[in-house]
Amino acid sequence: MSTAPARTPAARKAGRAPRSDRTRDERRLGLLLCAPAVVAMLLVTAYPIIYAVVLSVQQIDLRFPEEGGFVGFDNYVSVLSSELWWQGVFNTVLITVISVSIELVLGMILALVMHRAIFGRGLIRTAVLIPYGIVTVVAAFAWFFAFDPGSGFVNNLPLVADDKAWFGERFSSFAVIIMAEVWKTTPFMALLLLAGLATIDEGLYEAAKVDGASAWQRFTRITLPLLKPALLVALLFRTLDAFRVFDSIFVMTGGSQDTESVSILGYNQLISRLNLGLGSAVSVLIFLMVLVIAVMFVRFLGAAVPAGQGAKR
Amino acid sequence: MAHSSRERTLWTIGLVAILAFALVPVLWLVSLSLKTPATVGDGSFVPKDVTLDNYTALFEGGFDSPLLRPLINSMLIAMIATVIAVTLASFTAYAIARLDFPGKSLVLGGALAIAMFPPISVVGPLFDMWRALGLYDTYPGLIIPYLTFALPLAIYTLVAFFREIPWELEQAAQVDGATPYQAFRKVILPLAAPGVFTAAILVFIFAWNDFVFAITLTSSDASRTVPAALAFFQGESQFTAPTGSIAAAAVLVTVPIIVFVLIFQRRIVAGLTSGAVKG
Amino acid sequence: MLCIAACAGGIAACGDDDGDGGGVTLSWFIFNEPSGAPQEVARDCSQQSGGRYRIEFEYLPAEADQQREQLVRRLGAEDDSIDLIGMDVVWTGEFANAGWIRPVPDATRVAVSENVFDSVLETARFENELYAVPIWSNTQLLWYRKDRVDEVPRTWDDMIEQAEEIGPAEGRIQVQGNRYEGLVVWANQMIESAGTSVVSGPEEVLLERGPTERALAVMGRLSRSPAAAPNIATSTEDTARLGFEGGDSTFMINYPFVYPSAKDNAPEVFEQIAAAKFPRVDPDRESAPPIGGINIGVSSFSDHPDEAFEAAECLVGADNQLRVAELGGLPPVRSDVYDRPEIDAIYPDFAEIIRESIRDAAPRPSQSPAYQDLSLAIQRALSPTTDIDPGDPGRTYDELRDKVEQAVKREGLL
Repeated sequence: MSTAPARTPAARKAGRAPRSDRTRDERRLGLLLCAPAVVAMLLVTAYPIIYAVVLSVQQIDLRFPEEGGFVGFDNYVSVLSSELWWQGVFNTVLITVISVSIELVLGMILALVMHRAIFGRGLIRTAVLIPYGIVTVVAAFAWFFAFDPGSGFVNNLPLVADDKAWFGERFSSFAVIIMAEVWKTTPFMALLLLAGLATIDEGLYEAAKVDGASAWQRFTRITLPLLKPALLVALLFRTLDAFRVFDSIFVMTGGSQDTESVSILGYNQLISRLNLGLGSAVSVLIFLMVLVIAVMFVRFLGAAVPAGQGAKR
Repeated sequence: MAHSSRERTLWTIGLVAILAFALVPVLWLVSLSLKTPATVGDGSFVPKDVTLDNYTALFEGGFDSPLLRPLINSMLIAMIATVIAVTLASFTAYAIARLDFPGKSLVLGGALAIAMFPPISVVGPLFDMWRALGLYDTYPGLIIPYLTFALPLAIYTLVAFFREIPWELEQAAQVDGATPYQAFRKVILPLAAPGVFTAAILVFIFAWNDFVFAITLTSSDASRTVPAALAFFQGESQFTAPTGSIAAAAVLVTVPIIVFVLIFQRRIVAGLTSGAVKG
Repeated sequence: MLCIAACAGGIAACGDDDGDGGGVTLSWFIFNEPSGAPQEVARDCSQQSGGRYRIEFEYLPAEADQQREQLVRRLGAEDDSIDLIGMDVVWTGEFANAGWIRPVPDATRVAVSENVFDSVLETARFENELYAVPIWSNTQLLWYRKDRVDEVPRTWDDMIEQAEEIGPAEGRIQVQGNRYEGLVVWANQMIESAGTSVVSGPEEVLLERGPTERALAVMGRLSRSPAAAPNIATSTEDTARLGFEGGDSTFMINYPFVYPSAKDNAPEVFEQIAAAKFPRVDPDRESAPPIGGINIGVSSFSDHPDEAFEAAECLVGADNQLRVAELGGLPPVRSDVYDRPEIDAIYPDFAEIIRESIRDAAPRPSQSPAYQDLSLAIQRALSPTTDIDPGDPGRTYDELRDKVEQAVKREGLL
């Protein structure tokens, strides 16, 4: 433990307790260490994000330069009152929830295997990470091509109908999209969980075995709680990314059969229609929804801002 | 440690299943890359007519070939972005995990907010900014956005791991006679390694795979990376998809990833030595 | 010196340079047409210009949507490094209204319009002024197998009946039904063939109920027929070609690129392949085949518009049109080029069909600046085509009309 004195919240707020040199140095060091990263992040995104928000309250279409002007929340009303938007939200939530759940379970299994395999560990770890390293668009295309009734091999498999039109119906399309997403990003979960597993002291398991705990008990009482930090980072970022799914859907159905996600809607307005106002409004709304999800994670699952020394495990 | 043959069998079955899950689509890509244009659509998993033309075509033209410059660009840009991102994130994560200063939640929350904003809205203004600043179609032009969007993930990962490090070990080692540097190197670094290498892999793959920034902020082989270069591949005609060559390119560019991961996967679990924590 | 070398490598930073005996460098932004035809004619024109200009290429991605995205970013930023643009036929109204391309000056207009099909010129006009110079065209034909067809079907209904008789093992019909521009092409031509149009002015929807419902009914009938390809919901020009080459199809609606492709990839199919005109919707009304191709636009922000138009005029000369057809199989835009003997070698037996098809073609509503909105609206309303009930197309008609009206007003989400 660092030897800085612990300060109660009240004392901090009141500011009445004299600040020791050490605390001041610590603060300065802390801010200094954070500064480069903060600058790097703000430099690039401050202007674009503010610009996007400003655009979202304007009526602006690149193809019609003579129009334009402040329109308040009109764009937002347009989006929120559109049936397409809510269907997109539903689709996105559906894909996110299902794929992240599957990835969580599969990722956990993979992490355990990668950690405990009695042989072939290097091979397994490398093989598991390859899907994550394949260029996203190409992976989506490979899945699409595989399931296409004409040129793919899936329909030639024994249990599958020869002319099943996977992308001709809504839920079979979702099935393939989710499979592709799960295949591609389970390694992300598995990697983070593996690193988390690696930090757990073996001694705890041995002690538990001596005490007569079963494998399941060891898993739920030792592994899971100690994995919490890694688990939460993995879940948080994976959910945020899943919510912005674009490539798989775009390549496989183009959004047809009612499989559109909110990102595809945003792309259509912003890039196809060049309606910068509407497109920016969609982006801001996506951002707000993702923000809500992040806040929920932080609040309910305690992916807390780590407080440094004195924090409970 | 002796394992019963039953155990070995179970493990073998499990490993084969996992390998199949991970590699069947990759093998499908390999298969597509080996097919001739005449058979690419025949629906069979194993190519009936094998050709290496897709691969040789990728390197035709030496330095100007469709894949060589983009591959070099991808590797360099991803590596530079990874090194810088992990370094900056380590500083930040160390500060957040160990030190007490105001604005911690702001940094973490802000980082998260930045990672959440849809990139497609950001690339437009970024394009304008970069053209004005002369960063368009350059290495820094891509490295900087990659830094920005990878830092949040790297910071959160490292914070999660740094929180778990028993920092008191550093002091214990010093009490035992080690210099601060030795204590840091022999005790803290190995404990930090899993987190650092995990973050490195994640950042590298993020930069490697990105398409949106690459296609918008580059315009020539001077800085174009592989995902963007794939968009320029042509088939035999305007309407023919260059399936074979794209599959071949995708397979080839996975090789550096495999190498990278093979090197680093051992590091991730090299972590704890059994004596460190018990003391 | 460095700049010339760099420009030869196609780096965007050098827009133009006066280092080559006083001539200017014109940057032509176009996708890399696999046959290399544009590069050939560009080289010839550069030489013929006597040093006045040199055409350099800046390649765009392979897909039309991505080409447009790249162009729009730059044009929106008033980039002066673009001189010539290889434009898809549907971008004209959009680019012109946004002020990104210059209208063609009168002298050039006369020269580049001579003998050019009116349908082609239509795709290059905005508000009845010519804004782009057509270089090559394209259209879709009905490709069929001689060994399975006795009497070539004249209408879609005939074709569906014949195909159903032959049976699903060998009698599939290949079209483009994926949710993308290809579907808009199909739908537009069906509607035009039935006698009406999507729009009648920049902001007026036409879509007369009777003809439109007839067109939609045929699309629905085909999509639900056992003769439809199983992947019709995601079919594109390329999957249609693959399906036809695979042998289980008797009919295909596609561009002429399928002819050399079959020759290379499926010789047994190639022996039986033959072409006819786009099928009719109404038995007694000529069909309206699709029209595609590339028009050359001159950027409003180019520093050398005069040289650019001069270059464009040279590029589309009759001899160059023949070269382009010879190298890439891309149909000429001038009807007199079809009289040349060389054309028969390029399109054996179907040169005349191509000429007629382009002559009778009906463009998509490219004069509308809101074309992308229209395209999205049509895609959304009609995809998947298996949802169109041939017995009750009214439901789909209502949705189509609704979305198209929203599109011309550019309202709401699409």
